[in-house]
Amino acid sequence: MSAKAVRNLNVQYIATTLSVSCLVAMSGASTVLAQEELNALVWCDHTDTALLEPFETANNVKVNVKEYEGTGAALSIIDQSRPGDWDVLVIDGIDVPRAVEEGILGEIPADALPTADFFPEVVMADNNTLDGKTYAITEKYGYNTISFDKTKVDPEDMKDMANIWSDKYMGRIAIYDYYLPVIGLTALSAGIDTADITEENMPDIRERLLAMKSASKLVGDVVSSQTALATGEVDILVGGGEWVTAVLSAEKPDLDWVIPEQGGLRWSQSIGVMADSDKQELALAFVQYITSPEAQAKLATSSCYWGMPANKLAEEHLSAEQKMALRWDDQAQYLSNSQLYPAPDIDLDDLMQDVWTEMLQN
Amino acid sequence: MNADVSGNDDPRSAWFYVVPALLWTMAFFVVPFAFMAATSFASLVRRKITYTWDLGNYLEFFDKPYLLKGLFVSLEITLAVTFISVVLAYPLAWIIAERVPKRLQRAVLILAILPFWTSYVVRSYSWLLLFSSNGVINNALMGSGIISEPLQLASTTSATIIGFVHFFVMLLTLTIYSNLVQLSPNYKRAAMDLGANTFQTFWHVILPLTLPGIMVGAFLTFVLCIGDYITPQILGGNNELVLPQIIMLQLGRRADIPAAASMSIILMLVVTAVYLLCLRWLKMERT
Amino acid sequence: MLRHRLLSLFSWTYLIAMFGFILLPVAVLVLFSFQDGTLPIPPFNGFTLKWYAEVFADQKLMAALQNSLSVAFGSSLLACLLGFFAAYGLSRYRLPASALQRVLLMAPMTVSYLIIALGLLVVFNWSGIRLSLWTVGIGHVVINLPLCFAIIYASMGDHQKNTERAARDLGANGFQVLYLITAPMLMPSILAAFFLSLTFSWDEFIISFLLSRFDVTLPVEIWSLLRSGLNPKTNAIGSLVFLLSMILLLVLETLVFRRRSKP
Repeated sequence: MSAKAVRNLNVQYIATTLSVSCLVAMSGASTVLAQEELNALVWCDHTDTALLEPFETANNVKVNVKEYEGTGAALSIIDQSRPGDWDVLVIDGIDVPRAVEEGILGEIPADALPTADFFPEVVMADNNTLDGKTYAITEKYGYNTISFDKTKVDPEDMKDMANIWSDKYMGRIAIYDYYLPVIGLTALSAGIDTADITEENMPDIRERLLAMKSASKLVGDVVSSQTALATGEVDILVGGGEWVTAVLSAEKPDLDWVIPEQGGLRWSQSIGVMADSDKQELALAFVQYITSPEAQAKLATSSCYWGMPANKLAEEHLSAEQKMALRWDDQAQYLSNSQLYPAPDIDLDDLMQDVWTEMLQN
Repeated sequence: MNADVSGNDDPRSAWFYVVPALLWTMAFFVVPFAFMAATSFASLVRRKITYTWDLGNYLEFFDKPYLLKGLFVSLEITLAVTFISVVLAYPLAWIIAERVPKRLQRAVLILAILPFWTSYVVRSYSWLLLFSSNGVINNALMGSGIISEPLQLASTTSATIIGFVHFFVMLLTLTIYSNLVQLSPNYKRAAMDLGANTFQTFWHVILPLTLPGIMVGAFLTFVLCIGDYITPQILGGNNELVLPQIIMLQLGRRADIPAAASMSIILMLVVTAVYLLCLRWLKMERT
Repeated sequence: MLRHRLLSLFSWTYLIAMFGFILLPVAVLVLFSFQDGTLPIPPFNGFTLKWYAEVFADQKLMAALQNSLSVAFGSSLLACLLGFFAAYGLSRYRLPASALQRVLLMAPMTVSYLIIALGLLVVFNWSGIRLSLWTVGIGHVVINLPLCFAIIYASMGDHQKNTERAARDLGANGFQVLYLITAPMLMPSILAAFFLSLTFSWDEFIISFLLSRFDVTLPVEIWSLLRSGLNPKTNAIGSLVFLLSMILLLVLETLVFRRRSKP
């Protein structure tokens, strides 16, 4: 009986300890509630602590970031949220007009923004302003083109996109799993400008896409396409660019990328303040911080993916190697030979996603 | 379940104990399920969920071959995984129960399910590392001269299946082992006394007796496998999508909850059908 | 005799081969967490602890670790509590439709996590409840409640009933009986249920992924870490999770099962 009593005591002791530790753990979770918070809906390159922390400390605020993939998803998240849920939005530059028309982004004072220090080509006033009012500012850009291993692939071949469909590289290709740039690249290879993609020429693009899929080994997100390229699983990545090779540049110097004759896709991200945010000032301060040279350098070399900063002054905060990996000095040439992402309306977007799912499944 | 009406406790207070759990299950399982079922008949109109009460999502699923294919890929992978896992796990469980000395069994069993305690996401990822062209498996095979060119292992349906089998072999070894040790040794002794050899004893006595246990384990494998997203997403290289991947695409790329809901309902109907089949089969076995 | 030898040889070969298959991913995972270089693939360049240092320096990972612990402990505790009460009520009293009640309580076990998560997502969306760690916790209680109920219900036998009756005859009220007699007697299975829930909640991905907003649990954080590239840091965090789980397993082994096996 006494052994039993000891056992029960022990058990009660354990139970008490457990419940106390639960309470401690749970109270820990709720202590941060008092601080002011800023909610941002972003691409994954805005989630690094190193990027957010200086702003958080300077303004004594907690920046909450939620990452999304693709404008369609972001807009749906916003539609399904309540007004005031989001303060800052990072969105593909090409989709800013859409967001403005739907009343999602609010006006921001143009004179508060450092666009004078930007690469002129990426200011993209056509997209970021409407009727003379500024709604967003470009913060980062880069290219979706062809990445490859130059020791295994003839670099000359990569200058002509038609070679992707040739038998020579059959089964040595990976496709980046994001429908907009890859559909855009496919359109370019067919001589269709990204701005001219319509429901009429989608069947042609679909054919080419399916053919490319059958020549490829995998369709992967950032990590699996990177892994495949780094391990030699594949030699070519369609939709790749500096954002995938730059991170690996130190360890895998043989990885290269090129903008083919047919042209490449230029992606750009804009950042803006939500129209119904009740923290307009703080949100604007965050936009200003992100476009400042220091934050721009951090954003350019984020752990999720790299990309060129929109602000030229970020140069001072980047090392020579980083600039090399970003191809800082070749930008003039690249900018002239690249087109923007397709900007589909809802119906075309639906169609593109359907084609994409079909491609994945075949 | 005998009633306890002795003592001074009012039996009506029994409700007090049961109601919280029932309420919880109603509020966070039954009601959400009903909502999801209702939402599967809605549609996304200009990105807002609109209750149109039609079969649009279901018709679209059966109308588009690449969506419907997801169901078949799911079934194919899940059936293969369930079959291979049972076939691999049964001998392992049997060897642990019959051949390994009693005092070591517990330790061996814990060793057999050790990877169960690594993070599920990370475990799939480590298979990715193993499968890659200059990963451990290809390096070992090429080093030993078995192959000269690296095998295409990563980003295939086979990779998904191997990743799954790894997990479910652990699970099934555990269930089958506990079934085997619960068998009374008398059965075996009786069979041996009647002149049966080890194989005959196993085939005619042990196997039929453990069959219901296997079926339960296999069904569990089926349910967990067909609903999983992580393993095919990490290992399958987006080459053939399973249904949960297509559901997650609906959610991640366009936040289309109604379409995702309708596919989930279809997934659940499939699981229910398999459950009923298992039940029927088990009943037939018994008679 | 020869046949016996052959069978024995086959058995051991099979055992070793299967153990190779089962343990290989863990071995590789742990080995390459010490990789000196940025890619966790062969060749093994040398031994370093820097990836572990990076894991501990990563505030987001550490926050996710704490979130995971909170959610796992909180949801397991609630699931055990609800499960224990329900098991007590259903095994000690004759209630109308008790079979139906048991089926209802067990039902979430037969449904994919993805479906449970999606259902909750629809309801939270509709009712305007913001997603947070609390909603993740709710989801985890839903999946663990059937488990806790089943384990505790199965261990409620008649021998405790006599002790309970004796206590009642001595004037203890319902709560006192529950707290002083039933709960301590059932503590091994309650703890088993608790620790099992803990394991499930700790490693659960899809519910945590779909029902969280800003604060995420560890598996979700690892998932987004994975999305940003191949990295021995992922191996390091995986190995650490493994170590933590082993410690938990050891605690469970010595506190619960060791005790239960002794009379």
